[in-house]
Amino acid sequence: MKIKEGYLLRQVAGSNIVVPVGEGSMDFSGVITLNEVGAFIWQILEKGADKQEILDKMLAEYDVSRETAEKDIDEYIEKLRGAELIAD
Amino acid sequence: MIKKLKVADINIDIDLKYDKTIRQSEAYEADFEKCNVSIKIPDDSFEELKAETPYLSAEDVEYIYTGSAFYEALLHFNGFMLHSSGVVVDNYAYLFSADPGTGKSTHTDLWVRFFGSDRAKIINDDKPAIRMLDDKIYVYGTPWSGKTDQNLNMRVPLGAIVFLERSEHNHIERIEPKEAIPLILQQTIRPREQEVMIKLLDMLDKVLSNIKLYRLGCNISEEAVRVSYNGINMEGKTL
Repeated sequence: MKIKEGYLLRQVAGSNIVVPVGEGSMDFSGVITLNEVGAFIWQILEKGADKQEILDKMLAEYDVSRETAEKDIDEYIEKLRGAELIAD
Repeated sequence: MIKKLKVADINIDIDLKYDKTIRQSEAYEADFEKCNVSIKIPDDSFEELKAETPYLSAEDVEYIYTGSAFYEALLHFNGFMLHSSGVVVDNYAYLFSADPGTGKSTHTDLWVRFFGSDRAKIINDDKPAIRMLDDKIYVYGTPWSGKTDQNLNMRVPLGAIVFLERSEHNHIERIEPKEAIPLILQQTIRPREQEVMIKLLDMLDKVLSNIKLYRLGCNISEEAVRVSYNGINMEGKTL
């Protein structure tokens, strides 16, 4: 899985925001705000990763149970897919 | 003809043909050896733009597109445009930002009436330039001020950014930077190129972290001015 081309994640005044750049900015002019974990996973997905890789990194970074982490990742990926932000 | 302008402390060579932009630029004419930016709409692009916007006169096409060219260039000089009406009182600029037709000019006009034109001045009625220099955040007037000719060739520190909405009752609240991010991105030129977008977002990081931000609901009255002025300057002065 990988975040589609044409999105930029940046921290602005303490918020993690994603804005479209390049071709994508023609169709979508909104702003997406991510929480800390959302931004962490986004950065992993920018480079491309499978679910196992995200899970390993998340367990290494955050004090969270495997079960909770897995559920959070599933929900998050579902949302990203729903918003058509992921290319397989 | 080529005019030399100094706008927001940027030296510009600009090729102008029509009265409107020439007239609006008069107060910005300057002398310099080396220009930082050169603005010229090539003849063939001009014809294309005119064809795309048949409802605009040629002089409006020139006015709008030379303005866009300037504000795009501004992003490379640590500055950006905020679609807003800017009023200067006691040497601070207060920018009232909203979609067209909401009443931002009406509100700043009320400020000028209330404080008098000696104390309150419109620095730019539609598209002031914000620029960061030596860790300070300034507002500049520019020749491009929307439908009105209200703009002044001056620079003052930015006092506050206020997002204005219409409301029956007047009220003002401080808002957090995270609320202001989408509002500000709706009211500026969003660059498509990634490197320029990074510049813009890094400027917004500075502005939103250092400048007081408000949401104002207002009607058209003297009370609206009192509520917004007192809300912004709560520590100290009251009217």
